[in-house]
Order: sequence, then C-alpha cells, then structure tokens
Amino acid sequence: MDIFLSRLFSGMTAGSIYVLIALALVVVFRSSSTINFAQGEFALFTTYVAWWLTERGLNIWVAIPPIIVLGFVMGALAERFLIRPVRKRDETAILIVALGLFTGLNGLDGWIWGSDEKVFPAMFPSGEDDYVSVLGARLHYDSILVWIFAAAVVIGLTVLFKRTSLGLEMRAVATNPESAALCGIKVGRILTISWGLSAAIGSLAGVMLVPTIPPGQLNLASMFQVLIFASAAALLGGLDSVKGAVVGGMVMGIGLAMINGYATFIGGSFSLTFALILIVVVLVVRPTGLYGTRRLERV
Amino acid sequence: MLEPKTTPAQAPASTKRGPRVIRRGGREHTVLLGIGAVLAVLVILWGGQLDPFNQGQLTRVAIFAIAIVGLNIATGYIGLLSVGHSAFFGLGAYTTGVLVVKYEWDPLMTIPAALVVCLVVGLLVGLPALRIRGLYLAMVTLAFGVAFPEIVAHFDDLTGGAEGMTIRRQQLRPPEWSGFTLGERSQWVYWLCVVVLLIVMWIAHNMVRGRYGMAMIAVRENEIAAASSGINIAVMKVTAFGVSGAVTGVAGSLFAMYIGSLFAEGSFTLLAGITLLIGLVIGGEATRSGPLVGALAVVFVPYYAAELGQGQVAAVLFAVVLIFVIFVAPAGIVGGIAKAVRKVVVVTPRIPRKPEGTQQS
Repeated sequence: MDIFLSRLFSGMTAGSIYVLIALALVVVFRSSSTINFAQGEFALFTTYVAWWLTERGLNIWVAIPPIIVLGFVMGALAERFLIRPVRKRDETAILIVALGLFTGLNGLDGWIWGSDEKVFPAMFPSGEDDYVSVLGARLHYDSILVWIFAAAVVIGLTVLFKRTSLGLEMRAVATNPESAALCGIKVGRILTISWGLSAAIGSLAGVMLVPTIPPGQLNLASMFQVLIFASAAALLGGLDSVKGAVVGGMVMGIGLAMINGYATFIGGSFSLTFALILIVVVLVVRPTGLYGTRRLERV
Repeated sequence: MLEPKTTPAQAPASTKRGPRVIRRGGREHTVLLGIGAVLAVLVILWGGQLDPFNQGQLTRVAIFAIAIVGLNIATGYIGLLSVGHSAFFGLGAYTTGVLVVKYEWDPLMTIPAALVVCLVVGLLVGLPALRIRGLYLAMVTLAFGVAFPEIVAHFDDLTGGAEGMTIRRQQLRPPEWSGFTLGERSQWVYWLCVVVLLIVMWIAHNMVRGRYGMAMIAVRENEIAAASSGINIAVMKVTAFGVSGAVTGVAGSLFAMYIGSLFAEGSFTLLAGITLLIGLVIGGEATRSGPLVGALAVVFVPYYAAELGQGQVAAVLFAVVLIFVIFVAPAGIVGGIAKAVRKVVVVTPRIPRKPEGTQQS
C-alpha cells in the first residue's frame, strides 16, 4: 500500500507539471489553433534565467515573479513579431517558425550558460526528512507545493475564461476570429495576450519541474520529454479544453508512474514510446480527445 | 544540378523586353546543361583529392543531402511535415551497425537492408497520416523523434544502449574491387556517398517530374481537389512517407560507415531531426537541388559558428537564418535564386511532337 501511494504521489507530482505545460499548449491552441512546439523551450529559457538569478544570490521565491513576467513578455513578443506575420500564410510556416524558436532558444541557453548540468535550488526543504507520512508513504513538501501551484493555475484559468471579459474575448477569438473582429474585439491583441499567458504558465512550470523530477538537475534536454508528455496529455484531454488538460496531465503522470513501477516485465523505461503510442491512438481513434470540441471544416 | 535551367517556365515569353527564352532540349539548353554537368564533375573530382578532413566534410554534405532529399519527398512535395526524420536516419545507421557488428555483413550489403527496414517503418509511421494532418502529424513525428533514442537504449544487447556502438575499422574495409586499401577508407566512403547521392537525386528528379510528382504536389496544394481529380490520397501519402523514410535511412546507413561509432543520444536526437528540416527549408522545399544547398548549410554553418563561441551558437544562427528565410524567401535559397533568374532567363518545355493521326489540341 505504501509503495502504491508513493508511486501515486510521484505520479501526481509529475502529472501536475504535465498539466501546467498542457495548459500552456491549450491556451495557445484555443486562441490561434496551433501547437506551440517551442513551449518547452520558452519554459527552459526562463528556468535558466531563474537559475542564474539564484546564482546571483537571489532567493528562488523572489526570482519567480520576474521570470513569470519575462515568460509573458517572451511569449507576447514571439507572437507579435514572429508568428503573426506568417499566420495568414499556412500552418506549416507557423510550425517551422516555432521549430526555429525551439532550436534557437535551446542553442541560446547553451551559448549563454553552457551545456553542463546546473544544480537547481530547492524551493522548499526537500531533504530526506522533509515529508509527512500518509499511510506509511512519504509525501514530500515540495510535491504538495507543486500540486498547490497547479491547482491555483487551473482555478485561475477557469475563472479567467468563464468569469472575465478578457476570457470571453479569448473564447470568442478561438471560436471565430472574423466574427470576433466584427464584434469589436482586437483579435491581434488577444492573440498576443494568449501567447504571453501561455509562456508565463510555462515559466512557472519550469521552475517547479527541475527540482521535482530526478536527477534534479537542469540541462538543455530537460524539456524535450516534458513537452512530449504534455502534448500527449493535451491531446488526450482535447486540445481546447482546460478540463481535458487537467485530466490528461494527471492520467499521463500517474499512468507512467504506475507502468514504470509495476510493469517491470517490459524492462527499463519506455515512457516516451508509450506517449508516442498514446498520441497516435488518440489522433486516429478520437482526434478531439476526451473533452475537446469537434471542429467542422467546410469543403 | 543547376536549378534555374530546369525550373518550369512560369511566364510566357512576352513581346516586349521580357526574359530570354530557352527551349528545353534546344541547343542553348543542351549547352547550359553540359556546362552544369562539367562543373559538377569538376567539383566532385576536386573533392576526391582533398585532404582527409575537408573530404570528410564533403562526405558529410553528401550524406546530409541524401537525408534531406528523403525528407523533401515527404515534407516538400506532399506536405507532410516531419520533425522526426532523425529517427529514420538513426534507424538506417543502426541497421548497418547491427548487421556489420553482430552478423558480420558486408557494409555495402547493409545499404539495401537499411532501405528496406526504413521503408517498412516509414510506411507504418505514415499510416496515421491517413487520418492525421498538418499540425497533428508533425506532433506524431516529433514524438517519434524523441522516442527513438529511448527505443535504441531499450534494445541494448543489440545496439549497445546508452554506451553506443562501435564498428571496428577492420569491418569497414573497402571491398577488393574498389581498389582502395583500408588506409584509404575515407576516400572510399567519399566516393560511395557521392555515387549514392547522384543516384538518389536522379531517382528523386524522375519521381518528381513524372506523374507521381505532379500528384504529390496536387495533394499538397489541395487535398480535396486532388482527390476529386482521381488521385488516391491514401496511397500517395503512405508511399511518399515510406519512400521518404527509406531514402533518409540510406543516408543513415552511409553515416554509420562514415562515422564508425553510433551514439543515439548524440547523433539521432530530436535536434538532429529539426536540423534536417531546417536544412530543407533553408535550401528550398520542393526544389531538386535545395537539399544539396541545405546540406552545405547543415555541415558548414556549425563549423564556422564554432569559431564564434561554444557549440550551441550554430543552433542560434540556424534559427535566425531559418526565420529570415521564412520571412524573406519562403521557397528557400534555391527557390529564391530560381525566382530571380526567371526574370532573366526562362526555360519553356519542348514542343510536343504531333502524334500521327490525331488532332493536336
């Protein structure tokens, strides 16, 4: 029982991170109907900045607000100056610009900070003894912290989309940009805000990701896997659904923890392959995911 | 190899001071083609007597050009954006590696094997493309590219896992008939890669110029219109993806012979796949010599960028160039040059011979 619980806890912690990145993908998809492949690398860049700030002697908690702002600015600038000019052209152009951002940011991290691993400071005491015992399983404080943050972002986004006029405008743009523009909504501004918001969520996820997922160190490849898991999560839940991102992220996190824990007969880690298979199966069987809305296409 | 001569004419010859018109198959056209061929042969011969390091760079150019020709079939012509072609590259390389090291095959014989393996896997990966398009397919290939090193690590008894796999020098001995000794291995690999590149480019040229190529472009431009013109989209997409993977697999196989040691976390990661795609876009999607130009960029940009700073500078430069190309010349360098040259010279198709007993329309 205690082993099961500890696997459940670690799955939920990893799942919370996937939920956050999946939410970042969802926010972009809802507004501009594209997947931002550079999402993970935005987050990695701000995480490196956070690491650099803490190296300068700043407390990690003090470093979080500025990097969230930085994430927002990066996302907004990328949308305004790189994505928007090619938005009207075709889907492939947007994807290629996003891939350019992907390698560019990854290379920039390596250029500025080097490719060796960085030890990221813990946000919360996370030593051997910093846990509460739940039915014999250890529940570390930093796990609880990640859950709280993820829950806060989910609630915040739900309120934003359902209760504010900005959220209403975002939903309008997502449904039909032309009609939204005719109603007097500044579509461009909404898109810029969406990208900024999404990158800001990613920044938050980045800071929490590194301390919680072993080996607890920051390197240039830290975000590749997370992006794949989060994409699988977002697809599973439906790319335009906040609820879907939460369910999908948790299923991915807990599911992978259980598979790697119990299905030892497969031998070794097959997490990415499972994510790949899940992505293919979801897309082939049910492209809208669990909670996504069906999109119609006129011939 | 020189693109401008072979690009289809767009504007009809105008009566005013329009571009100079050259008829395909005419004397001027033949002369230009001849000059192009002679230049190509000179460059290849020049490469043949270079010192080992620079020759190795050219070998790499040839290998990446083959890989990008493969990617071009799927991404350039039929519009299936693949981010994870590094997996095919790696699969080809590991096919050669495993067959040579574990089963002591002749390296040359592993090229067809890599082709077949990658063709089959390409067809399988292409299957979802029947229902998945654009963005979503890119995501599937992305996941395929990320998952590949993990799969390699899993079969570590075959592939050496995370430690990598080394092909012994002795096992890569050039065949007797080639006349190269073991010490001249780099020369042998150079000539092998050049010959394979020429064959691949020739096949791609024929494929693209023919009925199949036109069907591919039709699918890319408008699937619904293509389907209503009687093109079987399902067959087109899946075979194109399979062929694309197979060609890139051949490049991987040659890469294994060139480099001699395989390391999945190093050579075949997602970043390698994105690099192939960047090479294609910079060179020119859906152009026949674009992959060659792209391969030059893929090999030499990191080489010269290394002088500016740490190794990652190349990635930043690539990103800048890529975004610049997307904004300024969406058809890539070759496409951009071809467009500029068309203002000066256009090539018109040859006049079809009038068939006997039928009316020419």
